[in-house]
Amino acid sequence: MRSEILYPGAFPMVRVELAAGEQIKAESGAMVGASPTIDVESKMEGGFLGALSRKLLTGEKFFFQTLRAGRGPGEVLLAPTVPGEIVILELDGVNEYMVQKDGFLAGADTISIESKMQSFTRGLMGGEGFFILKIGGKGTLILNSFGAIHRIDLKPDQEYIVDNSHMVAWSATTSYNIERASSGWMASFTSGEGFVCRFRGPGVVYIQSRNPGGFGAWIRQFIPVSE
Amino acid sequence: MSSSPNALCFGYELPASGAPCLVRFGGQGLTVTFASESMAGRSEEVPFTALSVSVGGLDHDQLVLKWIGDRGERALYLKDADLIRSFRRSAPEQLHVPFERAAELARLVRRRRRMVWGVVAGVVLALSAGLWRGGDLLVALAVERIPPEWEQKLGESAYKDFLARQDIVREGPAVSAVQEMTRRLVEQIPNNPYKFEVTVVKSDVVNAFALPGGYIVVFTGLMKKATGAEEVAGVLSHELNHVLQRHGLERIVKRLGLVAAASIVFGDQQGLAGLMKQFGVELMTLKFGREQETEADLTGLQLLYQARIDPSGMIGFFERLSEKDEGRMEWLSTHPMSQGRAERLKAELAAMPKLSPVPFTFEWAAVRASLGVSPPAEP
Ligand SMILES: [Zn+2]
Repeated sequence: MRSEILYPGAFPMVRVELAAGEQIKAESGAMVGASPTIDVESKMEGGFLGALSRKLLTGEKFFFQTLRAGRGPGEVLLAPTVPGEIVILELDGVNEYMVQKDGFLAGADTISIESKMQSFTRGLMGGEGFFILKIGGKGTLILNSFGAIHRIDLKPDQEYIVDNSHMVAWSATTSYNIERASSGWMASFTSGEGFVCRFRGPGVVYIQSRNPGGFGAWIRQFIPVSE
Repeated sequence: MSSSPNALCFGYELPASGAPCLVRFGGQGLTVTFASESMAGRSEEVPFTALSVSVGGLDHDQLVLKWIGDRGERALYLKDADLIRSFRRSAPEQLHVPFERAAELARLVRRRRRMVWGVVAGVVLALSAGLWRGGDLLVALAVERIPPEWEQKLGESAYKDFLARQDIVREGPAVSAVQEMTRRLVEQIPNNPYKFEVTVVKSDVVNAFALPGGYIVVFTGLMKKATGAEEVAGVLSHELNHVLQRHGLERIVKRLGLVAAASIVFGDQQGLAGLMKQFGVELMTLKFGREQETEADLTGLQLLYQARIDPSGMIGFFERLSEKDEGRMEWLSTHPMSQGRAERLKAELAAMPKLSPVPFTFEWAAVRASLGVSPPAEP
């Protein structure tokens, strides 16, 4: 599989080239177009219960799709629903990433995707719900964000504070705590909720430059309220 | 011999996501062989005596070995079970104690997480099995655990959000009148934990509302509809009591359900905002329940009485509001009017000793005139 980001910026798309017999996992609904050699199979990742728990608890679409170059080599075009950047990561078999439920766009068939229950407090207070995806294995992982993706590198024990609605993905070696923002932070964080994540390295944290909830609230003010 | 990487190495000049490497334990220490193309074949040897042991990672499930090497501080993250076992076998005596302590911490974190989820699941099961009274108790317990200043934050953000889109009346007779009424009422509240704030909004909507934490909005439409200051003061008193009785919080916790209530009781009450977001609960559209209305009515009546404001204004206003064709009565959409609400208040008032009201310093007719109501349409 070879992937390339087309139109980098706010409205990107990914072209994934597949050799005959190769397959990838993609978020269902992400496929924009494909060669006629590509077959779409809906496979339940993690079995029926896994898929069900994903559906119920992460609000994730029920299936990941498997896109398979079953009848010869071909290409697939994939795009996220929301405007925002796409980033391609190469997993080396040792690195694992925790990915917020809307952050996954596609990945090689060789990567493993596991929905993981996180600690109750993190689930309750973090913006990403009780379940997050733990993605490991070896191969390409394609993430998408709302707005631009910004990468923060953390050395061991280095800390960084991020508004909880801006998290996309982070290394499994990075730990984080949800904290109430101090009043000084409050004003400057965009969600206005007053909750922040304090990440602690080592590892890499990917954040998105826009907050889906904040954007929704902004849109709502233009929608006339019906009686 | 397998040479695929089994650990991540972190250090000053290494990539932030960690350099994949192959770790092997020997009799004296460990060997780290870097796997990435740019540093292929490079390896470092570290004696056991240089190592410190801890746990790390998001789930506290990784063994962390740290040392100071030629290139500064290094940290090795291991999660492969075989590799960790191999470390335990080859590590000398002096590392056993820190290793066991690290392992114990990891177990503790896992156990605590399982326990919290277990308690939550248990509570949910018990309550969904039909113990609904327990549910009410849980809601009350949860609401009690939410500190007022946190409640204030919650209300404040909704208040600011709302006011940003409104035409606010900043000064004039209407504002001073509402402020005087609020002051008279608030003075009578013993041990008041809230700093009440009232804003007059220019709108024909016949409404007033109170947000958790003491944020109150009165629309000019309601003031225009009122034939006396006592009527507006009655509505304010009712609204103040929704805040004092924390009715908004009760509604939120009820709406969010038992998991939320349980989590607030057993864990952290700060999770509320996240949940409200997840479930799309909007403060503005929260409808109060019938018991809450009755409670706010009765305590509102008491407060008016203590402030020596004639409560018959409130009763009369409620009666007029319940007569259907009074135009846009938004107040009723969040404060359901039940039959006999005014009657109940009348009976209550009749049982109280006769009150000699203290008049307001302003003329209501002048306030209404400032809002564009030509005097006097009705007696
Ligand atoms: Zn009410």
